[in-house]
Amino acid sequence: MDVASSSANSSRVHNDGSVYAPISLPLRQAFKQHVAKTNIHNITEKFTKACNGLDVGQLVKDEYFTLFESIGALEIMDPKMDSGFLQPGETLEDDYDPLTPLLPDELIGIMDQLLCYEMAWHTGYPLSQTLFTSLHIDRLLWPETKVFEHAQFYRGDVEEGKRPGVFLEVLRAYCLALVKGCDFVIAKVTGRDYFEEEDFCTNTYNRVLFVQVPVDVFARELDAAVDLMEDPDLDIPDALRKAITTRLDFRKSFLTALDLDLPLDNLSRYWAPILSSITTIKNTHALGTPVPSSFSTKIQRKLASTVPPRPIVDLAFADALAKLTQLCTDCEEATRFTTLPLDPLEYQAFLWTFASRDPTPLPYSRSYLSTILFDPATLNTSISLPLTDIRSLVFPSSPILDPLNWTLSPPRNPLLPKPPRLQLALLIDDFVDRAGQPYLDFWIALGQNRCRLRRMLTHVIIAWDFLQVDAALVDADLMATCQQLGVEPQVLDNPLTAWVYVKKLWMMEKVVLLGFEQDIYLPDEFAGMYYFLSVVAAKRAAELDRCEKHVGERTMQLIGASRYQDAQDVDDMGPYVDSELQQAKGVSEFAKALYRFYTILLYLGLIPHLKRPFSTEELRYELRMKPFLALQPVEVPLFAEFQAALQPYGSYSSPSSSASLQADLRDPDSALWTSIDAAIKAAKDAFARVKKYGSRKSKASGVEQAWGKEVNGLLASCVALGVGVAGVKDAVGKAEGDADSGTGALGVKVEIPKVGEGKRYAEGWVVGKVVKV
Amino acid sequence: MDNAKASFYLSQFIGKPLRIHTSDGRVFGGQMKCTDKDRNIILALTYEYRSPSAEVIRKAIEASGNPSAPVNWNSRYVGLVVIPGEHVRKIEFEESAYSGHKSGMVL
Repeated sequence: MDVASSSANSSRVHNDGSVYAPISLPLRQAFKQHVAKTNIHNITEKFTKACNGLDVGQLVKDEYFTLFESIGALEIMDPKMDSGFLQPGETLEDDYDPLTPLLPDELIGIMDQLLCYEMAWHTGYPLSQTLFTSLHIDRLLWPETKVFEHAQFYRGDVEEGKRPGVFLEVLRAYCLALVKGCDFVIAKVTGRDYFEEEDFCTNTYNRVLFVQVPVDVFARELDAAVDLMEDPDLDIPDALRKAITTRLDFRKSFLTALDLDLPLDNLSRYWAPILSSITTIKNTHALGTPVPSSFSTKIQRKLASTVPPRPIVDLAFADALAKLTQLCTDCEEATRFTTLPLDPLEYQAFLWTFASRDPTPLPYSRSYLSTILFDPATLNTSISLPLTDIRSLVFPSSPILDPLNWTLSPPRNPLLPKPPRLQLALLIDDFVDRAGQPYLDFWIALGQNRCRLRRMLTHVIIAWDFLQVDAALVDADLMATCQQLGVEPQVLDNPLTAWVYVKKLWMMEKVVLLGFEQDIYLPDEFAGMYYFLSVVAAKRAAELDRCEKHVGERTMQLIGASRYQDAQDVDDMGPYVDSELQQAKGVSEFAKALYRFYTILLYLGLIPHLKRPFSTEELRYELRMKPFLALQPVEVPLFAEFQAALQPYGSYSSPSSSASLQADLRDPDSALWTSIDAAIKAAKDAFARVKKYGSRKSKASGVEQAWGKEVNGLLASCVALGVGVAGVKDAVGKAEGDADSGTGALGVKVEIPKVGEGKRYAEGWVVGKVVKV
Repeated sequence: MDNAKASFYLSQFIGKPLRIHTSDGRVFGGQMKCTDKDRNIILALTYEYRSPSAEVIRKAIEASGNPSAPVNWNSRYVGLVVIPGEHVRKIEFEESAYSGHKSGMVL
């Protein structure tokens, strides 16, 4: 107690050791409440005169106030900017009183309307144009109440006669639970590790959606409402009573399912009850009577919003229920994530399939899945997820990953070299750390909507490109250490680089395929993009081929060393690596066949070739390749190479080697045709082998059905292409004799199946259909 | 008023609280940031005040029985706004002087 001893004479030390100022000191002057006198001066006249004295263009302004800032100012009385501007005769207040007694059918009408607005909000509209247009909800939320019980359709006291009746009380419980549900949804969407949602509006316009109130309070309100409805003294037709209680039950189960603090196991049981009540809600919808006057756009003027009121978004009831059903089924599907085998590749397959669901999952469902994915319970596993992924591909029973390596201790003198095995462990640990972020970024990208996924993947690819550079450095150290240990033959050359590279190429393929899926490319670009896809996939196949060979060699080595158990384990890895290899081969061959097919169609003029006077082919090529131009090793073929592959006979409109083109086209045995057939056959064989491995061995057992559908789609696409090629070949053969083989002369045309019409067997693979005219 | 005088007079109000009544009966209270020849005024940290509707006033009087019953104005934060000169009906300067202090402003 330095303070006490040094100032003992001027202050007193109390028993508890606290020090007080001596009482003799004058008390500090109490803070005087300055009741500032406010004088209001009317300065209109002088101000106006002074303004008139200014020069045109002269500003009297705060020197720190910039023109840039002034642009952000809202212009008062401008109907487009001033949210408080009223049209002549327009009133700010609404005529509807939320205390107006309700009939039971009106209650149903309002509940159903609220559900429509809720789903409209889920599909991306702001709350201000949906739920916040309800006068009932507005009254509950504003003015904000400190005590939950005060959140009523009135504030303060109300005359006895106007006290809300049973149906208003029921509506209040329903609205409260609805609002809390919105709070949960917003919390879940914004609570993700990566939040930048473009399809969802989280703005609450300064209204607080009962953030602090725990969920059981709302459940209690709903239970009380159900009790009110089930009161035998309540005079109401049974059908209506049932319809209302169903809606209350639905609201309760929905709120429970939206709750943030649910444990991961058993998540799936929350969604089924909601789905089962949807049918009843649908069947009883007709019992309700809408009350349009209880919704108003005018409330928007009272929200903390800078835009004047916009119209209410109307989603039809049937559509709203469809969205709700979709939301619930998607979330239910997402809960299956918790049952997946502990394997990052399974996770990856699941994420990819979930993102590919049709119709595309709503933002909430996607957030729901990523919350499960990034839950500590999922990520903090006993194994390192990236390392498991690496091991599955490049480290078959490898001395690099020998658990013994991790048991060695470093030498006590830090200057002494570390034992090589320990070095291996440290190198791997370093690399896994380094790979963690790109790996998570990759998963985060998979959790976005499809369009964003495509855009984000291009960024993730860049990150993986950097990772590849680092992997090469680690690989060099790994290889040197292995050499020192003499275990080089047991290790794949540059294993980490191989792994990173395979993943990176896979993402590049997906970017191109997603481009097809999203109709980014025009028909005359198909040939070029499939050519690029085929080049990329071929590189991946080559890399995987190396991995597969290594697995084979390693099995033989282990058998040679009589380590049969290990040999068996390594052999079990084979199917996954081979399945990936066949997949890559299939993609490459099929893309090759397609690019050749479209090239022929371009020469035959069967695909519209747009005239683009203001651009060159080279610039367009550069534009398409932009996301990949910076990559190392160089992935984008030179333009000359690209040109040579796509226009082997010169330009499409006037081929320079016209004669040989015609000859090749007419000869069904020319390389032009046979190469396509060979590629289709190779692709078909590869996909058939993938199919034979099945989803389990391809590490997609969690999404067996979707996986099977995808493989079948690929196979069907191959067949369709075969038919298409035969059709064109036939047509060209028949048109023989005609020197000029224009479209009309061939008697066929090509139809490009559109996105989302279900006419493509696989959305990323556009196979033109050849039809007779 | 000549230009120098006018500039001096107006610049006293920079950063000071003004209340501006607009042609539709609303009042905007905020700190003046900028003005020009057309009497366009930029206010920062502005609140919008709107007189209660006749209906609300009627109800308040009915409820209290007092014809001069107080009724609150509705207010709302609107932030940085520009009020076009043509819509400015009345400008008030809100002088909050502590007793004994002189604001030293030429009004």
